[in-house]
Amino acid sequence: MAGLTNSRRRGGGAGWLAAAPLLVVTLIAFGIPTVVLVVGAFSVKGGGFGFENLSATMREPYLGALWNSVTLSAVVAILGAVLGAFLAQAVLTSRSGLLREAVLTASGVLANFGGVPLAFIWIATLGNSGVVTAALGLGSGVLYNFWGLALVYLYFSVPLMVLVIAPALDGLKPQWREAALNNGASTWQFWRHVGIPVLGPALLGGAVLLFGGAFAAYATAAAMVGASVPLVTLQIADALTGNVLIGYENIALALSLDMIVIALLVMAVYLPLQKRSSRWLA
Amino acid sequence: MAGVTWRRLTLGVAAVYFLVPLAIAVWFTVYNESRGFSLGAYGRIVSAPGFGESLLKSLLLGAAVIVLVLLLALPALLAVRLGAPGLRPVLETITTLPLIVPPITYVVGIANALRGGTDALAATPFWQTLISIQDENFPVVLVLAYVMLALPFAYRSLDTGLRAVDVRTLVEAARNLGASWPYVLFRVILPNLRSAVAGASFLSLALVMGEYTIAALMGYRTFPVWIVTVSGNDGQLSVALSVLSLGLIWLLLLTLSGAGRKSK
Amino acid sequence: MTVELRELRRSFGGTVALDGLSLTIEQGELIAFLGPSGCGKTTALRCVAGFERPDTGAVFIDGADVTRVPANRRDAGMVFQSYSLFPNLNVRDNVAFGLRVRRRSADERHSRAAELLELVGLGGFGERYPHQLSGGQQQRVALARALALQPKVLLLDEPLSALDAKVRVNLREEIRRLQLELGITTIFVTHDQEEALSVADRVAVLKSGRLEQVAPPAEVYDRPATPFVAEFVGTMNHLPGRVSGETVEVFGQTLPLDGTAPGAEVDVLVRPEAVRVTPSGDGRGFILASSFRGSIARLRVQLDGGGEVLADVPGHEAVRLAPGLKVDVTLVERPVLTAPRTAVAAPVEPVG
Repeated sequence: MAGLTNSRRRGGGAGWLAAAPLLVVTLIAFGIPTVVLVVGAFSVKGGGFGFENLSATMREPYLGALWNSVTLSAVVAILGAVLGAFLAQAVLTSRSGLLREAVLTASGVLANFGGVPLAFIWIATLGNSGVVTAALGLGSGVLYNFWGLALVYLYFSVPLMVLVIAPALDGLKPQWREAALNNGASTWQFWRHVGIPVLGPALLGGAVLLFGGAFAAYATAAAMVGASVPLVTLQIADALTGNVLIGYENIALALSLDMIVIALLVMAVYLPLQKRSSRWLA
Repeated sequence: MAGVTWRRLTLGVAAVYFLVPLAIAVWFTVYNESRGFSLGAYGRIVSAPGFGESLLKSLLLGAAVIVLVLLLALPALLAVRLGAPGLRPVLETITTLPLIVPPITYVVGIANALRGGTDALAATPFWQTLISIQDENFPVVLVLAYVMLALPFAYRSLDTGLRAVDVRTLVEAARNLGASWPYVLFRVILPNLRSAVAGASFLSLALVMGEYTIAALMGYRTFPVWIVTVSGNDGQLSVALSVLSLGLIWLLLLTLSGAGRKSK
Repeated sequence: MTVELRELRRSFGGTVALDGLSLTIEQGELIAFLGPSGCGKTTALRCVAGFERPDTGAVFIDGADVTRVPANRRDAGMVFQSYSLFPNLNVRDNVAFGLRVRRRSADERHSRAAELLELVGLGGFGERYPHQLSGGQQQRVALARALALQPKVLLLDEPLSALDAKVRVNLREEIRRLQLELGITTIFVTHDQEEALSVADRVAVLKSGRLEQVAPPAEVYDRPATPFVAEFVGTMNHLPGRVSGETVEVFGQTLPLDGTAPGAEVDVLVRPEAVRVTPSGDGRGFILASSFRGSIARLRVQLDGGGEVLADVPGHEAVRLAPGLKVDVTLVERPVLTAPRTAVAAPVEPVG
């Protein structure tokens, strides 16, 4: 007995030792840049600390960019979550194994498809000299605005939602629906009282992931809209490459801190929800 | 019936939205009004300057990231199951960091740290180290950054794989039969994790082959960065590169699911 | 409130689940549908619940044809095999779900739920969530939910098969007590013959979508209508026998035939409790193994001519009849069933 507890304890020590390389690398590769970022965001011109950089990000033109980023991400998250859930349900209930397999594989590919290549494909389709633009006589500038960006972001967000929500939809037990019918409920009443509440955490969790993806996206927007739709990621890149007003050298750091705080708030919603969902759908 | 109608409508709209741009992109790369049908755009990819060099660099980075990710994540994950469950929340936190810190803010942090570090350490031997990890041909900084970004995916994949294997019982059974620790690790545990390890590797590789923001802003010409710089004003070439990178993701995913299926 | 199944037929793709099943379940009766998996017992139940529609045939509840009535407008409360409680609702709201759908007041819902939970022995559990309950408790809640709308028929679809042995026995007695108390017509689907025999007024044995026998438990056990029933319900020894006229010769004994024999050379079907084992130095076999089960001990006797026989003896004789002992085997004198000759003295354990 003594030997067992002894080896347990030793196992614990060895365990932390086995994890040490990971912890050290994380500390260096993530810890240092983060500390530098936070310290820099609060460092003011001429030495010392203050809120000057952060308060600058709360004024134009930066505030507008922040607001654009948040609203664009929210729109993509909500639309993507709803459309992705409908698409997943349509595919999963179609009883065609082939369709299911094909859509899930395609979703895996498209959810990982982003950056500049995504922008190129949409420019070829709906850009000023795009094929669909010409065919439908849409005129220029269809794609290069807020809603054009949303349309393009949905191209990877909806598939990501399909991937996230499919296991949850699979986890909806057929007995629940039958038990509800057996108790006199209509299909709509089943969804209202059971289906949607049970899926709720997974839906919201998915929406949070989509928000994060759209919020962090940079390359697609840079290739598509340049400066015509100001986004916080574009502003940070500008500032980082030296394209910044005198006295605003640390603005990239402050904007980055803003982004991290927003992402933290969103994640704070996500994590507890995910726990609840996995308990229900286990 | 109503159920069939909404399903058809949903699938129809999705098919148009997802397939039309793809079809147009492919058409655009092979057909030109003046020259007609030609695969020239794809030929130009291979002959474009820097193709082999940047592809090789990205593959090299990918290999380094895979090795490092596995070396860091596997021992930690095994430790969680073999007697240090207190590690789990720590690992969970580490692997959610990249979700909270977007790549663009991460690159801001890295760039500032490097600049600050280079200034502060200018007179010490560490300066040389700092310079060498930023080597254009094999940027160690980029490897470290990608390792951090790949960790969440690798961690989930390995964790799922380990869940299917009762590691503790396997280890105890093997030890009881007289196996040494290295034998247990390489001949007992790893073979049971083959598909999870393959999954983690392919996800890491996919990340390296697709990441643009960090590499571009730090000035490294990896394959995704090369794609953007080389397309320039050649519309057909740029779309052909997009189709190619989509195909690359598809290929990686296919290999991934193939590796997962083989072990079952 | 009788339930009548009339000539139900249903096939899924190529497999026939129901092949002309006809059966009438009387008012207040608990009938068990018993059979191996794939015999159609669950499909029959789901036809009554309205989750399946028979290809042909009809279901009558209380004299009314309900074949085309949708599931949410039938008067039949159902308990599923497992995990059917709504995970997002607490126990009280699960039980009161049907009342909520019918827009009853909160007061009525709460008092009815409390009453039903009291009935199934879970008073005070109303605020708990399904994941905080044991499997047995979950099934009690499911039972309360099925009874909440005071249905004409109670349908139980293998409600105990996911539970531990001890809980299973307790709960099946509880279900029977409740069913008698409420006098509700009940169909209990199970693949466990012991369960069916112990709770039902009548047992309907199904095979390949057809009714093999429907009779009170004792009759199904003692006078199985077909060899299939004989083997599915309880344990049977197959002993080689030779038919002559109205009798069959087996182990040197001549026993009267029950029903007609399928030929001259037959298997005689004998229950282990109808086999007597006595120590004898020049007996025809020896005890191979003995498993003590409390009130009885089941012996495996190896016969000298090859083959084995299972015999149940009183538990207190287990010490005397130890493995290795030379014994003689005799059969209780009573009419016996026969089946076409298969193997030499191969006892068949029940399925499930």
